[in-house]
Amino acid sequence: MKLTRREMLKCAAASSAIMALNGSLPMLKDAMAAEAAEPDKWVKSVCRFCGTGCGVMVGVKRGKVVTVKGDPNNHNQGFLCLKGALMPPIVYAKERVTKPYIRKNGQLQVASWDEAMDLVVSKFKTALKDHGPTSIAYYGSGQALTEETYLASKMWKAGFGSNNVEGNPRLCMASAVGGYVTSFGKDEPCGCYDDIDAATCFFIIGSNMSECHPILFKRVAARKQADPNVKIIVVDPRRTNTARIADEHVSFVPGTDLAILNAMAYVIIQEELDNPRFYNKYVNFMTNDKKKVDFDAYVTFLEDYTPEKVEKLSGVPADQIRKIAILFSESSGTMSLWTMGLNQRIRGVWANNLVTNLHLLTGQLGKPGATNFSLTGQPNACGGVRDTGGLCHLLPAGRLIKKPEHRAQLEKQWGLEPGTIAPKPGLHTIALWNAFSEGKVKAMFVLCTNPAHSLPNVNMYTEGMERKDNFMVLSEPFMDAETVKYCDVLLPPAFWCEKRGVYGCTERRYSLLMQSVEPMGECRSDVDILLDFGRRMGIDPKVIPFENVDDIWNEWREVSSLTPYNFMGITRARLEKESGIRWPCPTEDHPGTKRRYVRGEDPNIPKDYKNKYKFYGTKDNKARLWMRPYAPAAEEPDQEYPMVLTTGRVIDHWHTGTMTMKVPELRRSFPKAYVEVNVDDARQLGIKNGDNVELVTRRDKMVFQAKVSDVCRPGLVFVPWYDKNLMINKLTLNAFDKGSKQPEYKICAVRIAKV
Amino acid sequence: MKPQSPADHTILTKIVSLSTLLVTVMLWSTVSTATPLKHLVAPDSAADCYECHKKATPKIAEDWYQSKHGVQLMKCFVCHGQPDGKGSVPWAVVPSPKAVCQKCHDPAMQRMQQKYGLELDCYTCHPFHQNSLHHDAYKKSASKVK
Ligand code: SF4
Repeated sequence: MKLTRREMLKCAAASSAIMALNGSLPMLKDAMAAEAAEPDKWVKSVCRFCGTGCGVMVGVKRGKVVTVKGDPNNHNQGFLCLKGALMPPIVYAKERVTKPYIRKNGQLQVASWDEAMDLVVSKFKTALKDHGPTSIAYYGSGQALTEETYLASKMWKAGFGSNNVEGNPRLCMASAVGGYVTSFGKDEPCGCYDDIDAATCFFIIGSNMSECHPILFKRVAARKQADPNVKIIVVDPRRTNTARIADEHVSFVPGTDLAILNAMAYVIIQEELDNPRFYNKYVNFMTNDKKKVDFDAYVTFLEDYTPEKVEKLSGVPADQIRKIAILFSESSGTMSLWTMGLNQRIRGVWANNLVTNLHLLTGQLGKPGATNFSLTGQPNACGGVRDTGGLCHLLPAGRLIKKPEHRAQLEKQWGLEPGTIAPKPGLHTIALWNAFSEGKVKAMFVLCTNPAHSLPNVNMYTEGMERKDNFMVLSEPFMDAETVKYCDVLLPPAFWCEKRGVYGCTERRYSLLMQSVEPMGECRSDVDILLDFGRRMGIDPKVIPFENVDDIWNEWREVSSLTPYNFMGITRARLEKESGIRWPCPTEDHPGTKRRYVRGEDPNIPKDYKNKYKFYGTKDNKARLWMRPYAPAAEEPDQEYPMVLTTGRVIDHWHTGTMTMKVPELRRSFPKAYVEVNVDDARQLGIKNGDNVELVTRRDKMVFQAKVSDVCRPGLVFVPWYDKNLMINKLTLNAFDKGSKQPEYKICAVRIAKV
Repeated sequence: MKPQSPADHTILTKIVSLSTLLVTVMLWSTVSTATPLKHLVAPDSAADCYECHKKATPKIAEDWYQSKHGVQLMKCFVCHGQPDGKGSVPWAVVPSPKAVCQKCHDPAMQRMQQKYGLELDCYTCHPFHQNSLHHDAYKKSASKVK
């Protein structure tokens, strides 16, 4: 049907008349409603959700958050995804914790700040006195501000002599850290988001970035739109929305991606698409047991991974393996993107290494569009925890506790006695919660995270949390978070735009969240809470010489300045003016760094350095290509549990849903977790869409409604993990990677049946 | 009534087209008023609009699915709110540019304002759901070919 312009105009006139008759004037009404919510001011901030770290402008009217819009000057160029665009209701959720609480006779009862803090301090003091520093712990978050994590980590490690400092990034990013550190000697990605705009091939593996990093997916899609010759390869046993824009979707038997990556390397060499000029100069070939070998040894190692052999194992046709290997290496710039599909595995570090291998073999690195780019899950896992050393084996700016020279350097910078920092790393997350469950760790400070929902095989740990002889203080903004059920003291923190501090996202970009509104009720910022706790504990004042959050930032800049991290140029004043700066940034006139290890871009490399690249994280300035073999998952399917269970996110919800469930639209979009079942499996098992299906693993069982589709490959089921009433983590496995200590959430054996 | 000739057929098509448009406009105006329309969807899944609208309004659902918003999963409720008016976004068939579009498109809105003066809405130039992304669908984008 086609209308002429004249007819259209007639039609428009008629519709105006109808509207006038109706008396509705919808546009005018909308305009009036919009006017009513027109903010008095816009305050610069960052999205509270994923590691994409989009800049946000918070619209404030009469002291209240009324709306948000994307920050046009940050990397997201004004865009937000659906979660980011719907944040305001979360701030005023009725479930907000606005007063301190103490558990008495099993019930949380309102208390004053003094009562609550006195109790916390007495419990920590008793633990320290009776059982020593290893009996206390801090469990933080990739959602806490950089200043919060830096402060807590310093208080524990330098103030209390306890290296039991951990946090949820261990559950999401530890394998990426392990991957970068083993391949380059230093953590954090080499490239940046700008590489998306220059890449001509995207290799997306173990990532549903369309739902988990939507604004980056948007940027990839826009790249494809601008140049239809750009190739997109999506390697995922689920055919997710990310695969919608793929040229090649590679579905494989879960866990066999390690072999596929080696097979790609085999093809690259066989087709003479490798880049000896690059690897001869910049790469060491390493065996799995850390021996340096030559290229020929690598070729021999790869003989086990011919595409035909790997087809049998992985279910991926040999031709498709050849095709994607050729696309990867022939493109003028290939960007790999990955996240939890590789990280949450008992071979997570290996999987990370194997992706990096492909870049080292082809020289697809350090040029615009050519980079190996790990996507982080949380808004400040990189900036808060990885960089400031908020884990049990780390010290700030990439230093390690086990290295005496690193401890000594820190003690000197902090103005503390030599030997203040204990030489032995603390307990990693799973070991820490095991120790808490066994009553060996007596007092735990949990901040900005929900472990009673997010830990794998969570029943084990919630049983431990119920013990009477251990103590947990929790700083948590929402009363309905699962962990609230188990804490002994609950503290009300200021939430997101109610406080000031920094988030650092996936691309090493740090942006300031300015305070937009006053905290609700008696809420205080976590920096205030931690400082108060430290002072009441009688910590050495030299450890916490801070008046406010800006002082902490400035100390962090100083502490980073002796390392390749170097934040000296990222001053508070600059952060207030600019929307995000990428480290290293050594001076105030430095624009920040897009690509590390590249002469002319990375300020750590002298301008007259002889080579184009310098992988300065290692002694001989070379990156390492690791020969990592295929190895099966910790719990492969068998006769009793014949299918694979995997877990993940949906775009509408984030992590444990404590925030997204407060937004009516998001809650009602996915009110309940479900199980995604492949059509063929469903047919065989007599399962129809909407049927109740019981999932049984060796840990627990649970009933979900079935969504029958072709998203999962046959033999695989998927359950999103946000739902506190249907916590899939009761069924997941707590086996972890020996290197990174990150658990294998992504694969466990399951049996399913219609009930 | 059977069309008698090609000319009759054209006239008939035009009448049908015009009346369809009028009915649509009437519906919009009713929906946009304060009284919400009765909506068939159960409240606890009220925001999974696409599933039902695939059947109820297949053309609109398909346009959205093929559009940039569809590819990027900017779902119906982000712009239109909830049919029972209980969402955080005002329920409107025609979303208010100031309250909704601005969240992501403020830079573009400002550019357009500078270029063309203040526009009443975004939709005059950018028809609903039609800014396609996906492969050659992009070429069909109404906003580009106009
Ligand atoms: S992509 Fe991530 S950071 Fe950006 S708006 Fe969405 S949830 Fe927030």
